[in-house]
Amino acid sequence: MKLWAAAVAVALLALPLIGVDDYYLHLLIMAGLFYLLTAGMNLLLAAGQLNLGHTAFFGIGAYTSGLLGVHFGLSPLWTMPVAAAFTGFVGYLLGRLTLRLRGAYFVLVTVGFAEVIRLVATNWMDLTQGPMGLAGVPPFNLGIERWTLVSKRDYYYLMAVLVAGTLFLTARLLGSRVGRALAAIQSNESLAESSGISAYAHTMLAMVVSCVLAGVAGAFYAHYITFLSPELFGFQNTVTMAVMVVAGGQGMVLGPAVGSLVFTFVPELLRMAAFYRMLLYGVILLLVVMFMPKGLVFYLRALLRGRAPSPAAVQAVDAALETGGAAPPGEAPALALCGVTVRFGGLAAVEDLSLDLARGEILALIGPNGAGKSTAFNVVTGFQPADAGRVDFDGADITGLAPYRIAERGLVRMFQRTSVFPEAAALDNVLTACHRLARTRRWEVVVMTAAAREEEARHRRRAQSLLNFVGLGRKAGEAAKNLSCGEQRLLGLAIALAPDPSVLLLDEPAAGLNAVETEQLMHLIEVIRSRGLSVLLVEHDMKLVMGLCDRVVVLNYGVKIAEGTPTEIQQHPEVIRAYLGSGEILADA
Amino acid sequence: MLAEFVQHIVNGLIVGGGYALMGIGLTLIFGIMRVVNFAHGEFFMMGAFFLFTLFSLWGVNFFLASLLSIIGVGLVGAVVERLILRRLRLAPIEIPMLATVALSVIIQNAAILLWDPSPKTIKHVFSPVPLTLGPINVVSIRLFAGLVAVALIVGSHLLIQRTRIGRAMRATFQDTDMARLTGVDVDRVYMFTFAFGAALAGASGALLGAVFWVYPAMGDLAALKSFAVVIMGGLGNFLGAIVGGLLLGVSESLGAGYISSGYKDAIGFILIILLLLWRPQGLFGKKALPR
Repeated sequence: MKLWAAAVAVALLALPLIGVDDYYLHLLIMAGLFYLLTAGMNLLLAAGQLNLGHTAFFGIGAYTSGLLGVHFGLSPLWTMPVAAAFTGFVGYLLGRLTLRLRGAYFVLVTVGFAEVIRLVATNWMDLTQGPMGLAGVPPFNLGIERWTLVSKRDYYYLMAVLVAGTLFLTARLLGSRVGRALAAIQSNESLAESSGISAYAHTMLAMVVSCVLAGVAGAFYAHYITFLSPELFGFQNTVTMAVMVVAGGQGMVLGPAVGSLVFTFVPELLRMAAFYRMLLYGVILLLVVMFMPKGLVFYLRALLRGRAPSPAAVQAVDAALETGGAAPPGEAPALALCGVTVRFGGLAAVEDLSLDLARGEILALIGPNGAGKSTAFNVVTGFQPADAGRVDFDGADITGLAPYRIAERGLVRMFQRTSVFPEAAALDNVLTACHRLARTRRWEVVVMTAAAREEEARHRRRAQSLLNFVGLGRKAGEAAKNLSCGEQRLLGLAIALAPDPSVLLLDEPAAGLNAVETEQLMHLIEVIRSRGLSVLLVEHDMKLVMGLCDRVVVLNYGVKIAEGTPTEIQQHPEVIRAYLGSGEILADA
Repeated sequence: MLAEFVQHIVNGLIVGGGYALMGIGLTLIFGIMRVVNFAHGEFFMMGAFFLFTLFSLWGVNFFLASLLSIIGVGLVGAVVERLILRRLRLAPIEIPMLATVALSVIIQNAAILLWDPSPKTIKHVFSPVPLTLGPINVVSIRLFAGLVAVALIVGSHLLIQRTRIGRAMRATFQDTDMARLTGVDVDRVYMFTFAFGAALAGASGALLGAVFWVYPAMGDLAALKSFAVVIMGGLGNFLGAIVGGLLLGVSESLGAGYISSGYKDAIGFILIILLLLWRPQGLFGKKALPR
């Protein structure tokens, strides 16, 4: 693979030397330009956010560098970084405003943003000279005018440098914990947040990086073409980019590169069709989107190495549960709820709930359906704001913190149904959730320092050992969605353990498990507790509750009606009444 | 002064009615099918061109031609749903979105080939002399466009609230799987929804095309406007689309009159950015609950 890539790179670099026509060099330069743009778009799309206003950033970069060149005569060598920084800053501002939007909203708002910028560029005559365009932008030079780039070949090599840099940067970002975090946000945002991954911070990083790349591309374009017009901001440009990303293969490092190359040349080939050119272009787009939705790179790969990607080799790692989580024997309880109240409209889902989870304790929260158990969990983990009351974790107030902040402190939950990242391999699922343990900085990840590589290897071992711990060691390479229901629950448990929590919240961990699997789960929870973790669980399986828990808290209609040891609870008259007086609890236990 | 202000409002409401029609179509399609229809502007354009062809070229009665144009666009919508979108229903959201983008490229360029790119006018049957109501002047074609828009909006509301297919649409909107389980033919609902949304865009295009100009790229701006409308009103929200449409029409009219006509088309998006600061889910959208 590496050899292959090197051969392609050498061939591309040799092209101008063997006398390839300027027209083709120009097309390759434009393909490179589109690659800078689509690589950024792809990065943001990895987190599930499609920026259909990306061309606005291209245009902003171009005008920034172009205007600085025209008015102040600065060398493009300096204006290019300024343009990149400014474009990144504008991206940051837009991100502040829009990154809490998801899916279609984000798409439409970015379309609108580009339109506003286009109208500004058209109407602000004093700055941009409006629709007539900005002429006389100086060509690129390397600091002094004597070193001005003249030929297509010069620009071709400049672009080659930019492309190589972008390829390196995006490959490192997508191939590291940052890429895993982005994929996790797209796949299951709640789980990502509860594993300590800030969706906002990561999408913002992707947004800013993609805008900086667009700024560089814009600056290059300004000094290459030396003429700018508001056309740069046209929706059509973004459409071209989106098509390149999707047709090339979104989420894959090489996807945008292949897409840019193919869809720069296709319209040129279609010139033969004269009047029918754009019509045919549309038809090709439609066919690609309909029949190759995963992108050319995906299908090429499948062709090259057969259908399924080879599963990752199972590493020989012990099934150890490594924790640093054994909290120091402390004064405060591990987790304390005090007077927590949540109302939906007039209905109180949770009313004045107080409870303490002691260190190393297993506490169950039980109650009939709709008793407010999951709501209580959502409040503790930051997914649901409380109308009153407070939550203390390790003696510190965590009420109202964002979910990822709570997870960062070491309080992690397992979700009731959506407890995995379905598309990713089991090992990557757990690896993603190791996020909070990372100590290396992002730039270290990008340049692959020894520390970053060592950390990655350590986390990989940790993930594998957690998989072994829950008994899924052999399924490490399997996509989570292909696991059985019971295996997915166990994987969910491994994911929740990955951030090395001191308190674990389990939302119906035994739901959908058979008797044998439930036994296994009970044993695992026992072991987890023996390592010093405290466990709060919601569960309907009374055998598990009564056989495993130290204490039980019973909720009914959002109100705590009983609290005590399993034996006490089984004889509590109100509890029996709440469960229809059937005495089923007794029978089960 | 006041008369001028009221005149702007009236003009804005009439154009806003057209935006609202576009918006309703878009919002229904998104709400029920989860498809952002980037070909919406092309349905708008087709409505105008069908009317131009039937009425101006072939001499069909104006009102009949309008009706046929709207139905025609609806049929195109049905075919698009059946042949393209139905196959992409399980794909992630950006795939059908890009399919509609490709479709818009195809339709717009087909229109250029069929009708050439030069702008045309529809020489409708109404008198060019404005009606005068006190201080306000309204050209009768505009009044007609406004009234038809109101009628179509009310009709759409009744269709959704009172008919069998409307009930099926509402059920599918709330929970597709549950609707299917209770015997709703979801395929049919999707097809009808897309056709209906397309027809509303076509109606808007026919009405505004008769008032202004008809040209193949006319849908681009109209599509952008309808995006603005549905974001303002909340994606998938019927009432939101109406209010958003009227609001956009009026604010554009006022903006063009009192601020700058160059920035008229940006007003919708500037409003959106202001709105987002205050209410990111749109005017009528519901806040998403945590899973």
